Amino acid sequence: MTKINSICIIDDDPITVFGMRKMLDSLVSYSTINTFENGKIAIDGIKDMIFDGQQVPEVIFLDINMPIMDGWQFLEEFIALPITNKVRINIITSSIDSTDEQNWNLYKGQTHHTVTYNHKPIRKQEIAEITKVA
Amino acid sequence: MLKGSQKSTNNYLIKQLPKATVFVDKRKAIVYMSDKWLNDFELYNSVAIGKNIISLFKNSNPEWQKSISQCLKGLPNLTLTESHQNKNGNKKWFELHSTPWYDENENIIGTILQAEDITLRVSTETKLEKLEIISEDISDMAEIGFWDYNLAEDKMFWDSRTKGIHEVADDYIPNFIETSNFYKLGHSRNTISMTVNRAITKEVPFSEKLQLITAKGNEIWVIVSGKPLYKKGKFSGMVGTIQNINERHLNEVRTKENQRLLRTLIDNLPLSVSIKDLESRRILVNKSEMDFCNVQTEKEIIGKDDFSFFDKARAEITRKDDLSVMRDRKPILRKEVNHKEENGDLSTYLISKIPLIDTDEHAYGLVSIRMNISDIKQKEIELRKLIDVTSSQNEKLINFAHIVSHNLRSHSANFSMLLDFLASEKSEPEKEKIMQMLLDASDNLLETLDNLNEVVHITTNTSLQKKYIQISKKIEAVQQNLGAELEKHKIKVINTIKDHIKVRVVPAYIDSILTNFMTNGIKYRSPERDSFIKLSATVEGNYTVLHIEDNGLGIDLDKYGEKLFGMYKTFHNNKDAKGIGLYITKNQIEAMRGKVTVDSKVGQGTTFKIYFNDKD
Repeated sequence: MTKINSICIIDDDPITVFGMRKMLDSLVSYSTINTFENGKIAIDGIKDMIFDGQQVPEVIFLDINMPIMDGWQFLEEFIALPITNKVRINIITSSIDSTDEQNWNLYKGQTHHTVTYNHKPIRKQEIAEITKVA
Repeated sequence: MLKGSQKSTNNYLIKQLPKATVFVDKRKAIVYMSDKWLNDFELYNSVAIGKNIISLFKNSNPEWQKSISQCLKGLPNLTLTESHQNKNGNKKWFELHSTPWYDENENIIGTILQAEDITLRVSTETKLEKLEIISEDISDMAEIGFWDYNLAEDKMFWDSRTKGIHEVADDYIPNFIETSNFYKLGHSRNTISMTVNRAITKEVPFSEKLQLITAKGNEIWVIVSGKPLYKKGKFSGMVGTIQNINERHLNEVRTKENQRLLRTLIDNLPLSVSIKDLESRRILVNKSEMDFCNVQTEKEIIGKDDFSFFDKARAEITRKDDLSVMRDRKPILRKEVNHKEENGDLSTYLISKIPLIDTDEHAYGLVSIRMNISDIKQKEIELRKLIDVTSSQNEKLINFAHIVSHNLRSHSANFSMLLDFLASEKSEPEKEKIMQMLLDASDNLLETLDNLNEVVHITTNTSLQKKYIQISKKIEAVQQNLGAELEKHKIKVINTIKDHIKVRVVPAYIDSILTNFMTNGIKYRSPERDSFIKLSATVEGNYTVLHIEDNGLGIDLDKYGEKLFGMYKTFHNNKDAKGIGLYITKNQIEAMRGKVTVDSKVGQGTTFKIYFNDKD
């Protein structure tokens, strides 16, 4: 079983969060898992972690369409944070808007973090592949 | 030798001879001389007697001497023409006759010279000769033939040109009666018969333009003229001319046809065309130009400039353009000009002005072409509006399609995932949990569909009847509905809108709009201060504007502005059920042809301005 210290799920849909957690439980072993309802809560939470000297999540599952602060706005603020470790950010969306894919390409090139783009529904097999330390 | 008395008698007789006469002896010395000779040759002193005749006419024709000599040999009747320059420098012409002079014994004793002043005759002859040459030339150039009919001899004469025109052989003998057979059957033949007949009976000359068929079968146009002749009041014959004008006639016909074609063309053009002189006065106009200037006849417009038809300011502009075109000899092409018509309509014209340039490269006027493109302009504006509407609708549609697709996909993704779990789940309580989630997901899907349906309903029902409603009454009603919430969070509602203010809205929409904005004010209140929601109204152009102001948290518009009214979030499971509240609100406002703007400062509050369209 893959071992990961800290995982973070950012999604406003509780069913998705439930499903993700269920699949992760059976796939990887992790020390902590944090879930956030939207980008704003997530970025604030991560900033707090840095402030408190806690470990920044190694893998982040990120939804795009969320209220208040969406996935892209989160990503923009996140990559600006002083995090030297390489974080793996897995975007998981049900959007088929081509601008979202363009955004992904844009952000991917702007950061040293690994950013992947995945469509819902996501299968266990896929989760297994993208849940590892970058 | 003659005796003295006889000589003087002779002298006396000869002196009086009416003809200029000299008698010269064998040595050509003058013996007698008539006064006439003296006068004609301006020999005023009678010193001439005894002098050699040759010496008197130094510049004379050498033939003269010869003829005198020949006379002396008995060869008479030689006639010579001799010129003599008089004192005034005028040339006089004489015809000289020399005859041998015999004595009673038939011996030649000298020569008798007689001179006749033929100056007048010579000049007439010269004139006649010249006239003949000229008339010949004219006839040749104009192809005029001459004909002549003599009734007494019943003889018709055609000159060579007349024959040439008829294309008959040189030896052709014309006949007066048959002449008319050369004319084309119908109008031409009838006319020639009738006019000749009339000329004879009424004693009038004629001239007709007729068609003739030549001996070779060529059809040509001629002008045939004739003048009847009378002797003692009785018709005796006829003279006349015939001219081949075929080429000229055809050219005339062609020119006329071209003119008519051009006229038809310019009169039926959907353009106003006018040709102007250097003073911008119209020389030629077409029908549309007359219509444009509101005149019925050409007389009212020819020779007039724009000052006669337009107001001063406009005429000055056109005159300036005309001048620049003629001065620079460069055309103005497709210049767009707006013009207010008498009825107040605004028309747009395309105007082209082309200079007319003579062979010396000087402008002598211009052609002005005006086209009314108001209809095209109007269509263009309508088209542009349509394109704007279409593209904005298209954008909305794409946006909506993405929303629909995204929302349905999120639900189907959840179903698929949960069913997957259910299939492999062993634990009963876990199974139950998954089942519960499936039920929730199903409810969410239904709600999503309801919401989407509502959006579709708004965007498709744009023709909903608008009514005037009292806005402050509506606000009160909404306030009542939200009473519990407002009270719970201690939010004060300040409504400054006067009772009489009415807005044109779809009644069902206004409830939803007010509820949404006020709920928004409650939702994003600041916990740090006493909250309020202020409502006021202003008028801006065609709009009554409702201002909804709160002192809540405020939104960072730079970051979230474009998402505020957008549909970027999923509907499901929001704690505040109306997930698409502002999206629907915006659609409702726009469906009533209004608009909504937002102004906000983080930590200070938010003001929404809702524009209700009173006119449209």
